[in-house]
Amino acid sequence: MTAEAASPTTGPTVPAPAGDDEPTATPSLARRTLAVFTGNRLALLGAGILVLLLAFCFLGPLLYHTDQVHTDLGAASLAPGSDGHPLGTTDLGYDMLGRLMHGGQTSLEVGLAAGLLATLFGTVYGAVAGYFGGWVDAVLMRITDAALAIPALFLLVVVAAMVTPSKPVLILVIASVAWLSPARLIRGEALALRSRDYVHAMRLMGGGGARAVFRHIVPNAVGTMIVNATFQIADAILYVAYLSFLGLSIPPPAADWGSMLSSGITYTQVGYWWLIFPPGLLIVLVVAAFNFIGDGLRDAFDVRLQKN
Amino acid sequence: MRQSRTRIRGRTGRLLAAVPLLVAAVLLTGCGPKVETVTDVRAGEGTPVEGGTATMALPPAATPNWIFPIGAPGYLATYNSAIQDLLYPPLYTPETAKSGKLTTDSPRNVAEKPRYSDGNRTVTVPLKKHYRWSDGKPVTAGDVAFWFELIRANKDDWGGYSPKLLPDNVEKLQVLDAHTLRLRLDRAYNPAWFTANQLARFKPLPRHAWSKKGESPKKVFQRLLSHAKQLSKFDSDPLWKTTMGPWRVEKWTTSGSVSLVPNKRYGGPDKPHLDRVVLKPFTTAGSEFNVLRAGGLDYGYIPPSVMAQSEHFKKTGYRIDPWESWGITYIVPNLNNPRTGPLMRQRYVRQALQSLIDQKSISEHVWQGSAEPTLGPVPAALMEDNPLPYDPAKARRLLTSHGWQRGDDGTLRCERPGTGEGKCGKGIAKGRRLALELLSQSGSTETSNTMQAIKSSFSREGVRLDIREQPLNTVLGTTVPCKKSEPVCSQWEMGFFGTQGSWIFPVDPSGEQLFATGAPSNMGNWSDPETDRLIKRTEYGDDPTSMRDYARHLAREVPVLWTPNPAYQVSVIRSDLRGIDQNPTLSLSPQDWYFVKKSGDGKDGRDGKDGNADQHGKGAGR
Repeated sequence: MTAEAASPTTGPTVPAPAGDDEPTATPSLARRTLAVFTGNRLALLGAGILVLLLAFCFLGPLLYHTDQVHTDLGAASLAPGSDGHPLGTTDLGYDMLGRLMHGGQTSLEVGLAAGLLATLFGTVYGAVAGYFGGWVDAVLMRITDAALAIPALFLLVVVAAMVTPSKPVLILVIASVAWLSPARLIRGEALALRSRDYVHAMRLMGGGGARAVFRHIVPNAVGTMIVNATFQIADAILYVAYLSFLGLSIPPPAADWGSMLSSGITYTQVGYWWLIFPPGLLIVLVVAAFNFIGDGLRDAFDVRLQKN
Repeated sequence: MRQSRTRIRGRTGRLLAAVPLLVAAVLLTGCGPKVETVTDVRAGEGTPVEGGTATMALPPAATPNWIFPIGAPGYLATYNSAIQDLLYPPLYTPETAKSGKLTTDSPRNVAEKPRYSDGNRTVTVPLKKHYRWSDGKPVTAGDVAFWFELIRANKDDWGGYSPKLLPDNVEKLQVLDAHTLRLRLDRAYNPAWFTANQLARFKPLPRHAWSKKGESPKKVFQRLLSHAKQLSKFDSDPLWKTTMGPWRVEKWTTSGSVSLVPNKRYGGPDKPHLDRVVLKPFTTAGSEFNVLRAGGLDYGYIPPSVMAQSEHFKKTGYRIDPWESWGITYIVPNLNNPRTGPLMRQRYVRQALQSLIDQKSISEHVWQGSAEPTLGPVPAALMEDNPLPYDPAKARRLLTSHGWQRGDDGTLRCERPGTGEGKCGKGIAKGRRLALELLSQSGSTETSNTMQAIKSSFSREGVRLDIREQPLNTVLGTTVPCKKSEPVCSQWEMGFFGTQGSWIFPVDPSGEQLFATGAPSNMGNWSDPETDRLIKRTEYGDDPTSMRDYARHLAREVPVLWTPNPAYQVSVIRSDLRGIDQNPTLSLSPQDWYFVKKSGDGKDGRDGKDGNADQHGKGAGR
């Protein structure tokens, strides 16, 4: 067993420079990854935005109390700043700032859960296809190709119209179309990883396919997984917004940024800008944040950019 | 989501995907395309011109899907019958008289005034002789008898069937000659009611084109029904080519766009002036508004949420004209639903729920004043008072006094099951939650907000209401009268299809179609001997108190939950499109419409420029 095979760490191993006999203190992989990530200003900005948005949505309601369940028609469509409503009120009298916090929880929860679920399932699916190869790969990948041929939005609209949208339903519906991309990506990684010496060694010692997939293939593709997960989350948040925009959101009094934007659009002609721009901006911000983080992580996991 | 991406493509791709949501909003808030203005022609100005195409918007999420002039259950939407009547007009057409009252005495009637004799048990109907089918054959009394034979042999498949009314109440139909019919009725009826609500439903159908020799009415009907279900062939099926109304179908798409062109052989006095009328469907009121604003419609409507935009339209050559309907609006509880039927069969529950609906505030804030409270089973103008106004305290008292207490989740639970004073009522078990599901039509912000406001009001008093929104046709197809054992009865608990009014009455607003036991549009399966008795009184006699007593009784019984009745639509009409009379019964008469051009400019009125709007003129006088 070679040193490389004995230490299945994340990412390809970098050979030591020739002639370097003196053992030097090499930073750990985690440190090197972190160093690259923190060196990326956009990634840091993304992380900062994300932390702020999470705090806004989940800690904000603890400090800023509003009733987001009962309507108040007498206070409908108040402009920002009026009567204790810093961002105004909605057409049903909900405080807008409180509604953004409330709606953000749904958008982030569904986005995160759907993105992670899709990545997890796609990873296992792709790893199995890539590791076993042959007819297993052929069958699994043809299924993926067939599913990819159907426009995702069309599928989402059809499924969401058949069932009453709820958080778990939205998570499953979005994840059911989002797993295809990570599946293909990880399958490519698995094809390369399965020919590594440490995988051969494990098999020679009697290790089975399941052990190979879950102990060697998946852990070694973790970098790709994490990077992909951030993009999946961003996409999932956008899909929540799309579906809500098409009227397939979680029934009221629940809200999410997409449905808030959708109902705000109704009032564009009468100038109720506070119903449109805040949820729109937050969607853009959260998607941008996840993309910056994803790009930063991709760089961080790229060993060519890591400094020993 | 579906493809792996490069770094650049990944970031920009997603950002580009997110940004359009905002950009769309920016464009819509004021940077949109410049609106094309139309001719400024004031009321009374302009020279009428023949020809042209008028495009009218259909209601939100409304897709015309039934051409056969005998409506099947689930296909009774107003827009379907409005189109059918243009192809196959009834004997009598309701219209607003100069006095403002609805009447069946219209010059476009296919028949002369009916003659009642034999103590109002016999009716003689003389047909006007100048009507012809589009293939040149004359319209005869036999064609009216053909309609009657079809509905008599297939009354259970006819959406308009009410037990003991048509065709049951006609003992004998005689064709006296080619243009005269005589009906022998099962008893004496109030002539005004019988003409307005029964005779007005008779319509000639082309026996020579639709019936084969020796074929029974049952078989003919089934054959016609099979054709009527082929929506994609409405404009090509030879069956539907033989019409007698002022219009014929040029194009009818499965998405609901209907194009009508004049029937050159139409024999009525109201011959079309336009070359074509196009009825356009829209999924939401918002999408219709965008097309209207962009100049894509001659006759559209504005959602109440953008009522402030009416000034913009007035400045760009349109007039604003609310279309008030002769109707009522309500949420129907399914009294035969196995789960919630026992709850809604309790009068105190219905009264409590009614007391939780703040119709006044909803009309004012959600509908921006374009709706008014429904007070009972007849149009609000005929109601004396509101017996169940918004009163949450009363609702609370009614529920707690019948054994309902809040559970841990805040929803009311039955603590005193059983029947009798102070008990929850028959069929309600201990611990039963007061939770209901409402199937409501989609496509309207105002309707969604109305339902949210009601849900919120219910929830304050511990009544849980879950709202499921579906397109109008789905709601109409689901909320049908049913028996407890039928699967469809378990599919809906409460239904709402009233974005533009739940029920539009014929001239006489009696309830034989709505609240009589077994009536075709008695969706909630209401059955009450007293209601049936009061409805019969309105049918048989002309005592003015009968309608009042019926209205009072049902207003208190609350067979359905009364909700604000919106104007059918706030119409926006090009100032150079004239002759539009917005009939409260929601029938259409595009044969009266015509364009005008500015006197002396030599141009069609549709080529005009900016200007102020005017009031509409009437086409009937032309």
